[in-house]
Amino acid sequence: MTRLLLRYRRTLVLSTALLLAFVLMTLQARGDSSLVLLTKRILLTSISPFLQIVTKSFDITATVWNEYIDLRRVRRDNLLLREEVRQLQAEAGELRETALEHARLSHLLQLDKRVGTEIVVARVIGKDTTNWFRSILIDMGANRGIRRHMAVVTSEGLVGRVVDVTALSSRVQLITDPESAVGVLIQRSRAIGVAAGSQVGAIQIKYLPLMADVAIGDRIITSGMGGIFSKGIPVAHVVRSSRPTNGTLFQLIEAQPHADFSRLEEVMVLKRSPTTGLSWAGEESPP
Amino acid sequence: MMTFVLALLGVCLLQAIIAPRLAIGGIQPDLFLILLFGLSVSVGPELAAAAGFLIGLYQDSLSGAPLGLNAFTLSLIGFLVSGLSEQVKTTQPAWRFALLCMAGLLSGLITLLLLRFFHGSRPLVSAFLWTALPGAVYTAILGTGLLGMLKPKTSVGGLV
Repeated sequence: MTRLLLRYRRTLVLSTALLLAFVLMTLQARGDSSLVLLTKRILLTSISPFLQIVTKSFDITATVWNEYIDLRRVRRDNLLLREEVRQLQAEAGELRETALEHARLSHLLQLDKRVGTEIVVARVIGKDTTNWFRSILIDMGANRGIRRHMAVVTSEGLVGRVVDVTALSSRVQLITDPESAVGVLIQRSRAIGVAAGSQVGAIQIKYLPLMADVAIGDRIITSGMGGIFSKGIPVAHVVRSSRPTNGTLFQLIEAQPHADFSRLEEVMVLKRSPTTGLSWAGEESPP
Repeated sequence: MMTFVLALLGVCLLQAIIAPRLAIGGIQPDLFLILLFGLSVSVGPELAAAAGFLIGLYQDSLSGAPLGLNAFTLSLIGFLVSGLSEQVKTTQPAWRFALLCMAGLLSGLITLLLLRFFHGSRPLVSAFLWTALPGAVYTAILGTGLLGMLKPKTSVGGLV
C-alpha cells in the first residue's frame, strides 16, 4: 500500500489538490459556504496583520516622501519668492531714491527761479580724501561753463566756491575748510565779519568787534564783499558767542552752517552774480 | 519551509500593495504565479502542486475569487511547470519567459473555464485576449527579470 502510494504520489497529490479546490468551489456555488468562509477567514486572519503593518508603513513612507517632495517644492518656491522680494526691494529702493532725488532737484529748481541768475545743478561725486581739507568734487566742469570762484549753494544756504575746474568736473572748497574765508554779516544787527572754516568743521566768525550785537541763534548771511559771493546767501547761525577779556579786540563767535555738508548730494553753481539781492526760502531780504 | 512561508507572505503583501500600482492599462502582474514558477522549477511536481494549492488559496482569500479557483489552477500549473522544468533548461531566460508565458496563459484559460463552469457564461475569447494574454506577457516579463536576479538552481527553503 505504502509502495503504491509512493509510486503514485505525484498524481495523488495533484488529484487531492484539484479535488479539494473543486469541492471548495462547488460548495460555494451551492451556497453552502460555512466551511469556505471559515477557511477564507483563517487565511485572511493569518495575512491581514502583516497587510495592515505593511500598508501602514507604505502609507507612512508615501506620506514622508510626499512631504519631502512638497518641502522641496516649498523650498524652491521660497527661493523664488525671496529672489522676487529682493528684486522688488531693490526696485522699491531705486524708486524711493528717485523720488528723493526728484524732491531735492525740485527744491533746487525752485531756488533757481528765486535767485534770478543762471545756475548749474551738479551732482556731488566725491569728497575730500584727507582730513586736512573740506572740499567736494562735482560732476560739472568747464564744459558747462563753470569757472573758478563761482559760488556753490544748496537750498539751505552757502556751500562754498569753485576752486579747481576741469573739463568735466570741479572741486568746491566748502566754507568749513580751514582755508576758506567768506565775508559775512549778522543779519539782525548788520555787523560785518569773516566766516572762516576750521579744522573741526565748524565756522568761526572773525573780526567781529567786541561791541557788535551778536546773540546765539542769529542768522549769518554773505555780505557780498570780496566779489565772489552775492550778498544775502544764508551761511550759518550763531551757536556760541563770547567776549574775551584778555585784551583781544574781537569777539569769538562759533556758527553752525545751514547746509548739512555730510549729506550733500546735489548742489547749484551760481554762474553769475545775481543782479538783485538773493531771496532764500524763509529769508528776509537784507535792508 | 520557513523560506517558503516568508516568500508567500512577502508575495501576498506585494501583490496586495505594490502590484496594483504596477498595473498597466488595468492589468497587473501575477506575483503568485511568479513565486509558484520559481518554486516549481526547483522542487518536484507533488510539492509544486501542494505549494500551488496553498498559494492559490491565499490568492483566493485576498481576492474576490471563489475559494479554490486559483488553488485549482495553481496546483495544476505547479505540477506541470515542475514536470516541464525537468525537460527544458529553465535557467535560460528565453525558456523561462516562454514557460512563464505559457503558465500565465494556461492559468487564464483554466480560470476562465472554471468561472464559466461555476458562474455562468463569460465572454471567453475577449477575456482571454484582453485580460489573460496581456497579464501573462506582463507576468512573464517581470518574472523573467525577477527570477533572473536570483541565483539559478536555488532550492526554495526546506521544501526540497
